Amino acid sequence: MVASGFRNFSIKFLEIFMRVVAIFSAVVMFSPTMNPARVTDLINKTTSLFTSAISYSRLTSEAGRAIRLEWVSQGDFTIIYIASILISLGVLFTLIGSGLSIGNQKLKRLSYMIIIPSSLLQLTGLFGIWRAYRSFGESSRLDRVVYQLPGGFFIFIAIALMTILLSVALLLLIPRPDKDMPYDMDRSKQLVLMYMPFAALLFIFSYMPLLGWRYAFFDYKAGVTSLSLDSFVGFKWFTFLFKNKATLNDIVRVMRNTLVMSSLGLATSWLPMIFAMFLVEAKSSRYKRFVQTFTTIPNFISWVLVYGLALAIFSTDGFINSLFLNLGWRTRAVNYLMGDRFIWFKMWAWGTWKGLGWSAIIYIATISSIDPTLYESATIDGAGRFQKMRYITLPSLMPTYFVLLIMAVAAFLSNGMEQYLVFENATNTAKITVLDLYVYQLGIKNGVIPLSTLIGMVKSLISVVLLFSVNKLSKVVREESIF
Amino acid sequence: MKALTINGKGKIGDFVFNLINYSFFTAFTIACIYPFYYLFINTISDNGLVQRGLITFIPKGIHLTNYIALAEVNELGTSFLVTISRTVIGTVLMVGVSAFAGYLVTRKEMQNRKFWYRFLIITMYFDAGLIPWYLNMSMLGLTNNFLGYIIPGIVAPFNVILVKTYIESIPVELEESAFIDGAGYLTVFRHIIWPLSKPILATIAVFGAVGHWNSFMDSLILMQGSPHLQTVQHRLYNYLNQASNLDAIMSRSGAVKDVLDSKVIKYTISMVTIIPILVVYPFMQRYFERGIMLGAVKG
Repeated sequence: MVASGFRNFSIKFLEIFMRVVAIFSAVVMFSPTMNPARVTDLINKTTSLFTSAISYSRLTSEAGRAIRLEWVSQGDFTIIYIASILISLGVLFTLIGSGLSIGNQKLKRLSYMIIIPSSLLQLTGLFGIWRAYRSFGESSRLDRVVYQLPGGFFIFIAIALMTILLSVALLLLIPRPDKDMPYDMDRSKQLVLMYMPFAALLFIFSYMPLLGWRYAFFDYKAGVTSLSLDSFVGFKWFTFLFKNKATLNDIVRVMRNTLVMSSLGLATSWLPMIFAMFLVEAKSSRYKRFVQTFTTIPNFISWVLVYGLALAIFSTDGFINSLFLNLGWRTRAVNYLMGDRFIWFKMWAWGTWKGLGWSAIIYIATISSIDPTLYESATIDGAGRFQKMRYITLPSLMPTYFVLLIMAVAAFLSNGMEQYLVFENATNTAKITVLDLYVYQLGIKNGVIPLSTLIGMVKSLISVVLLFSVNKLSKVVREESIF
Repeated sequence: MKALTINGKGKIGDFVFNLINYSFFTAFTIACIYPFYYLFINTISDNGLVQRGLITFIPKGIHLTNYIALAEVNELGTSFLVTISRTVIGTVLMVGVSAFAGYLVTRKEMQNRKFWYRFLIITMYFDAGLIPWYLNMSMLGLTNNFLGYIIPGIVAPFNVILVKTYIESIPVELEESAFIDGAGYLTVFRHIIWPLSKPILATIAVFGAVGHWNSFMDSLILMQGSPHLQTVQHRLYNYLNQASNLDAIMSRSGAVKDVLDSKVIKYTISMVTIIPILVVYPFMQRYFERGIMLGAVKG
C-alpha cells in the first residue's frame, strides 16, 4: 500500500518534471542567447534555434564573404541548418509526447515511447552541430571564424539526456496495461491539447510583438546596439516627443491629417445606408443586381491597383487629359495626382469609390429581411415613398449602422496606410501622411525604432480606450454593444 | 376625382424620382467600371494611338503584343509564382485551421473554454503596432523568407469566429449520436462538421485568397532584401512609382523595348494583375456577400 503510494507519487513527480523540461526546451528554442547552433561568430547573434531552422538565408546572412573566400565551407552551414531542423523537430515531438502523457496509462506509455526517439533526434542534430564545430576549427582564418561551442549546445544536450532518462524511468514505473485497454484521455483535456498549436501560433504572432514595446524605453538602433541596461533610457523618448521641435511639428501635422480624414469618413458613414435605401427603390431586380455587382468590384482590388487605375484616368497622359486635349478644351495637360489641393477630399473620394457599393450590401440584405406587411399596411394608411423610408426602413437599419459606427470610432486613429502610401508623393506628403504611414516611414524606412514604437504603442492604447468607451456609451444610450 | 389627381401627381413624382434614382446609380456604376474598361482597351489597342491618347471608348487596331511581350519579363513571372504559391498554400492552411479551431471552441466541455476563446478574440481588437510586429517577425527569421507570408496568417481569429458561429447554428443531434457510437473529435470533425460547414469554409477561402492575392504591405516590409520574393502587387507598385524600374525591364528585353512604352507597360501590368480577380469575381460573388452578412452578425 505504502509502496504503491510512493510509486504513484514518483510517477506524478517525474511526469510534471518532464512537462516542465519539454516546455522549457520549447521556450529556449526562441532564445538567441541559448542557440546551440551558433558555433561561430559568423552566425548573427540575434539568431535563435528556431530562426536557424526556418531561415537558411538568416543563418548565413553574415557568412557570405567567409564562404566565398573558402574560410569555411558552405556544406557546414547546410549541416547546421539541417541539424537545427532536427533539433527543433525533436523539441516539437517531445512537446507533443508530453502532451499525450495527460491521457490514461496506455497513452502515457505511448507518449514516452514517442519522447525517446524524439530526444535521439535532438541528439543527432546536436551531433551534426558538433561536426560543424570541429570543421570550423580547421579553418585557415580562425581569427575571423571565431568558433566555440555555445552554452545552448550543452543545455540542449542536458535536455535531451534528461528527457530520455525520465522516459525510461517512467516506462519502468508505469505498469504495462492490459492488451485490450483503449487509448483514452479526459475529453475536456483532449480539446485543449488539440487547441494548443493554434494558441501557440496566436501567442507567437499576436502576443509576442507586445514584448517589442520595450524598445520604446531603450536607446536602440537596429543591428548596431542591443538592448541592455546601459541603453535603458526610461521615458526619454516621451519627453523627446514634446521637446524636439521638428518631431513635434511632424506629429501635429500627421495628427491633423489623420483626424481630418477620419472625420470625413465618419461624417459620411451613413452614405452606404442611403445608397442601399435608394437602390432598393429601383423596380427592376436585374438592374439592382447589375448595379450591386459592378459597384462591389472595386472593393476587391488592392490599393496599388486603384492607384494604377488612378494613373490611367488622372495622370498627365491619362484619360481626362487625353480627352480634354484632343477635344481642344484645354491646351496644357494637368497631372491631377500631383499637388495637395483637395487631397483630403480626393482621398475620401477614392475610399468611397472603392467601398461604397460593398458597404451597402449589408444594408440591402437587412432591408430585404424587413417584414413586407409593414410596408403594405403603411401604404394602406396613405404613407408615401419617403415616409416609408423614414419610418420603416431607416429604423430597421439603425442597429447595424450603430455597430459599424462603433467600430469606425474605435478605428479613428487607424486609417490604414496602404492607400496613403500609394498616393503619396513629394508634392502632397505634408497633407497625406497619416499616423500609420508616419510610423512606417519613421520606423521601417528611416530605422528610428524607439520613437516609432512609442507612437505605435500610444496609438494602440488610445484605440483600445476608444473602443471600450464607445462601446460603453452605446450600451448606455442605445442599449446596443459589440461585446 | 380626388383619387385620380393623387394618382396623377404620384405618377409625375414617381417619374422624377425614378429618373434621378436610375441616373445616379447608372452614373456611379459607370464610374466603377469605366476605369477598368479604359485600362483594358488601352492595352489591346494600337500603341501609336494609345500614345496620342486617342483611345477613349472603342479599342482600335486590336493586338495582343503587349501581353506577349510582358511574358518575357522574368521578374514578373517570379512574382506571379510567389503570389500564386502563397495564395494557394496560405488559403488551404488558413481554411483547414479555421475549421478545426472553430470546431474546437464550440465544444462546451473544453477545459477553460472561455479563456481560450478570449485569448483568440482579444487579438482582433488589440495589436502591438507595426514596428513591434516587424521586429518580432525579424527576430523569428521570417523576414526575407517565404514562410513569412504563410505562418502568421494560419490562425485568422476573425475566420475562426465565423466558423464557430456557423457550426453553432448546425443542429447537434448528429454529432451527439456519433459520440455515443464512440467516435472521437477527429472523426466527428472529418465526417460531420467539415462537410456541413462547407458553405462558410468556401466563403472564408474566397476572402483569404483575395487577401493573399492583393497582399502588398507584408511584401514591402518583410522582403526588403529579397526582390525575388516580392509579390505581384509589390512589383506593380515599384513599376508604377519609379520610372527607373520600368526602364530596367525595358532595356533588359529587346522585344519589350520595341513594343512597349512606359505608359502601355504600366497599363498592361496592372491589367494582368486585375484579370484574375475579374475572372474569379462572378463565380465568387455570392460567397463575398454571404461573408459580409456573417461578419455583421458577430459585429
